[in-house]
Amino acid sequence: MSAERTMPFVRRWGGLVAWLGVVALLALFPLTRPTNSTLFAASQIFVLITLASNWNLIGGMTGYVDFGHAVFFGIGAYTMGVLVTRAPIIFTPELSFWEALPFTGVTAAIFAVLIGLPTLRLKGPYFSIAMLGTFVAMREIIRILRPITGGGEGLDLPPVLNRIQDYYFSLVLMGLVVAVMWWIRRSEFGHSLIAIREDETGAEMRGINTTLHKITAFVMAAFFTGLVGGFWAWQNTYIDPDVVFIESRNVEMVMMSMLGGLGTVWGPPLGAVILYVLKDLVWGRLLELHLLALGVLLILLVLFMPEGILGTLGNKGGTSLARLWGRGKEQDEA
Amino acid sequence: MDTAQKTYVGGPLLEGRKVTKYFGGLAALVDVDFAVYSGEIVGLIGPNGSGKTTLFNCLSRLLPVDGGRIFFKGQDITYKRPYQVARMGLARTFQVIRIYRKMTVLENMLISRQWRGESLISMLKPRHPETEERAWELLEFLQLAHLAHEYAGHLSGGQRRLLEIGMALMPDPDILLLDEATSGINPTLIELIKDRIRQLNREQGKTFLLIEHNINFIADLCERVFVLHFGQKLAEGTPQEIMENEAVIEAYFGA
Repeated sequence: MSAERTMPFVRRWGGLVAWLGVVALLALFPLTRPTNSTLFAASQIFVLITLASNWNLIGGMTGYVDFGHAVFFGIGAYTMGVLVTRAPIIFTPELSFWEALPFTGVTAAIFAVLIGLPTLRLKGPYFSIAMLGTFVAMREIIRILRPITGGGEGLDLPPVLNRIQDYYFSLVLMGLVVAVMWWIRRSEFGHSLIAIREDETGAEMRGINTTLHKITAFVMAAFFTGLVGGFWAWQNTYIDPDVVFIESRNVEMVMMSMLGGLGTVWGPPLGAVILYVLKDLVWGRLLELHLLALGVLLILLVLFMPEGILGTLGNKGGTSLARLWGRGKEQDEA
Repeated sequence: MDTAQKTYVGGPLLEGRKVTKYFGGLAALVDVDFAVYSGEIVGLIGPNGSGKTTLFNCLSRLLPVDGGRIFFKGQDITYKRPYQVARMGLARTFQVIRIYRKMTVLENMLISRQWRGESLISMLKPRHPETEERAWELLEFLQLAHLAHEYAGHLSGGQRRLLEIGMALMPDPDILLLDEATSGINPTLIELIKDRIRQLNREQGKTFLLIEHNINFIADLCERVFVLHFGQKLAEGTPQEIMENEAVIEAYFGA
């Protein structure tokens, strides 16, 4: 018996080709002249998918479960807000959307380096809690930095309603991010991330610079999340600390990945779509109970589908929260 | 044993000078001096808790030392990080096997690979053909090729040991530190491991440092043996000398 040595073309490239096909089809969708609200809903889904995929890079593939990843979303949103607003604050360059956009990602990425260097030394739940703390602290910092950020009153962005542009922007960003995740998962970089997730000491001992890999993954995830935040602020035309730094955004990012399958390429997009549909169909009718439903779903998920939909369907590339937080215990003590 | 090709040029390959390590008040290693020369197969024995694995952890830099110096290829590696030491050509296996159970055997091999620099472009390449080729060669050498696409978690204990040795060999290291490579392994596989170590040593000049409880294994393979006892070096010599050493007999073979 001998094992096959070369991967067939379909297994090697099939996923990417299929994904680009989906994105191309979605690009044709506006030709059917959908209503503005349909376009808006679609771009919301694309944003969720982008966020879930990003979170999955650090949380699912690298195994650092980030409970405060929305801090990068917030930084992106506020960078956009400060750069484009015409309200009287200390710093008002009044840039256009496209001029401001690169700064949203870059600011988030720089912050990721600064906060990642200390926090990525922490393992398991300690990292998660530290990032949650960072998230809460950043909300207060934004509130206090009133002369720059508008404080609790928030910032008004120039109102521009262009749903077609929003649709295409979020579609392209989503297409790009998921394709990047697909590529990473198959690259040596991705293999190293999975190695770090499964056994960090072993990875280090096999010549992988674990610190550099973790920071790189974290910064990439932060960069794209920052872009999404900037886009969201533009689309929303108004930001204040409470709508930007809302805890449920953290929970959603974690949940979408867990629902689809932590650490898989296609799980988070799948989880994002399901979460959106649930939110729209079920929780729209249970207004007061909507957070409750989110919580119940999360509990059920952890109990009965720890590896998400794809993991339950037999995908071995993923992992579960329990494994991430319990990882390496018995090995490190040996 | 044929020691004709043993070379002592340029001093020891791996050397520890007064290596000391405390766990709280417990002295795990006290002033341990030792040297391993290029091309040697050296055994490290001692009762449980004598500090063998701690010494391995210090050598591979997983644990910081509390005193003393460690040199590899003439360079002071006492304060280097594990990945740096690994890239210099030091590979090890673990007493508790560290393989990636949820990856296939081949993927495991590809994790551990020759270092090619750290540019993002190089890291983002999917799979380097030469890495894959080397992985297949080693899998064949270790008789694991037919299991290449099997999940590592499905392997037997002995096959896992072989896989871990294969992973250690992937980057083409100069020295391999094997921590109890034969524990829990059936005699046929032990013979295979022994045979492969000998072959790597003779044909490629690889140096080995072995922690072992299996005395026959040590006696068959090693030219020199160190004995650790309560964190101190108790004796050093050929396997024959060690087995006749009274202090060793008392400490280890429990007279």
